Amino acid sequence: MFEIFTDPVKMAQQMEVIVNNYGFAIWETLYALALEVIFAYVIGLPLGVLLVTGEKDGIRPINPMVMRVLNAVINLLRSIPFLILMIIALPLSKVIVGTKVGTPATIPPMVVAAFPLVARMVESSLREVGHGVIEAAQSMGASAWQIITKVLLPEALPSLISGGTITVGTILGYGAMAGIIGGGGLGQMAITYGYYNTKYLIMWAAVIGLIILVQIFQSVGGRLAVKCDKRLRNKS
Amino acid sequence: MEHIIGINNLSKHFGSGETHVAALSDVSLEVRQGEIFGIIGLSGAGKSTLVRCMNLLERPTEGKVLFHGSDLTHLKEKELRLQRRKISMIFQSFNLLDQRTSLDNICFPLELAGVGKKEARKRAMELLETVGLPDKANAYPVQLSGGQKQRIAIARALASDPEVLLCDEATSALDPKTTRSILQLLQQINKERGITVIIITHDMSVIEQICHRVAILDHGCVAEIGEVESVFSNPKSKAGRRLVSPKTENIPLSTWEGHVARIAFNGNASADPIIASVAMELGIKLSILGADTRNVDGKAFGTMLVSLPEDITQLRKVMDYLNSFEGVTAEEVQ
Repeated sequence: MFEIFTDPVKMAQQMEVIVNNYGFAIWETLYALALEVIFAYVIGLPLGVLLVTGEKDGIRPINPMVMRVLNAVINLLRSIPFLILMIIALPLSKVIVGTKVGTPATIPPMVVAAFPLVARMVESSLREVGHGVIEAAQSMGASAWQIITKVLLPEALPSLISGGTITVGTILGYGAMAGIIGGGGLGQMAITYGYYNTKYLIMWAAVIGLIILVQIFQSVGGRLAVKCDKRLRNKS
Repeated sequence: MEHIIGINNLSKHFGSGETHVAALSDVSLEVRQGEIFGIIGLSGAGKSTLVRCMNLLERPTEGKVLFHGSDLTHLKEKELRLQRRKISMIFQSFNLLDQRTSLDNICFPLELAGVGKKEARKRAMELLETVGLPDKANAYPVQLSGGQKQRIAIARALASDPEVLLCDEATSALDPKTTRSILQLLQQINKERGITVIIITHDMSVIEQICHRVAILDHGCVAEIGEVESVFSNPKSKAGRRLVSPKTENIPLSTWEGHVARIAFNGNASADPIIASVAMELGIKLSILGADTRNVDGKAFGTMLVSLPEDITQLRKVMDYLNSFEGVTAEEVQ
């Protein structure tokens, strides 16, 4: 895997492939990531809220049976290995995007894999909000909706952002694996172009690209979480 | 309607079966419009549950919660939310929104009520003045001291223009000096705005400083209720005596042989040297077994335990003499 670095001719050939395809691979990675994160949150955020508000002592309890089923389904989806889940969920792509191949086709299975993670992340963030603050809002006559939108989510914002950063990193990792089922981007570059064709320079270049992306997301997300957390501001 | 809040035969039970706990049993009391009403009890007496029943943060298992004579427990949720704006609450742990500035915390109840942003801010600024922190408008809770946080919480509680302010151990997390200043603020709010204040505390000195009437809660029941002065000077219940004079109440009398009297001071005799008078006038020496008295506005409150002479005639003389003082009640307890 490292012997490529001793062969200047092969390196030059592979370098050409990299230069020609790298930009597009990054673009494909990022747009798939963005869509996956958005849809994972569209489904996962409300579910995470429901997991907290709907329980027996929550602000708007719902049928305990529904809660049990919801928890079970989320646990189930979380426990199936990602690759298997992706293959099982692929027919969903046929229904939603009309095809089972290409980058768009990998998005629905990715969302199915990611939204349960998002739901759990959101749940744990919201549980950090103190009961006293919720009680105070109730004593002022706040409705359940007002408590969710004006207390739970804003008070949990720094933690939600931290969770979001972890989620983005995880989805980016999943996305790289989606290269196996035909999704485009850096993952496909590393696995299909690089590893399967024993063009290891391409593989390394794609891997380094993924590493840099994760580093960027992590540091931006981390800084954002700290910046918006008013509990951390030093006394002035 | 003279009574702003009425609690009728209220019970609150938690859990069921083996974990069943009766937090409150058959509690009845009335709070008069415009007064500062104290509810005191040891921890576990049910105070916090009782105050949470007043705005239905806890739903009573049985009984009624009357606000201006109408039962809150029958209201639909939406109507209840509207009523809650008239019954504000402050807490031991302040419960400010950490991610909002002081000003935005005070705006919060107005926001809930749909008041416009500009008007809400104007009102919040006025309230910051009221609580004496106009320069903290843009400070976040983390930048405030405990006393300042409670002031912001009070301003927030006043924003919805309430008729009642419930204070759940509002000063228990504060040092004595800050406690006094917060109590003064509550007193000022009560006087100037005519807001009825209900104070939950385990601290007798809080009641002593600002309450007009007090209810003593013991194991989920009202042990006694009355004007602060009369409850203080002569607590009728055991729970009352334990709270008013914990030191004398905890002296194990059984270790003392002979007769013992409890002398209760109800506020008129601080200048009279009673024990010295007994010695000089009657020639009988009493020894003090324990005392827990305090001075409120130049008046003595509290109790003292003294040993009585063996001789019955002398004992009677002492008792009669003690009871002849105005504002002093002596009773033989052993």
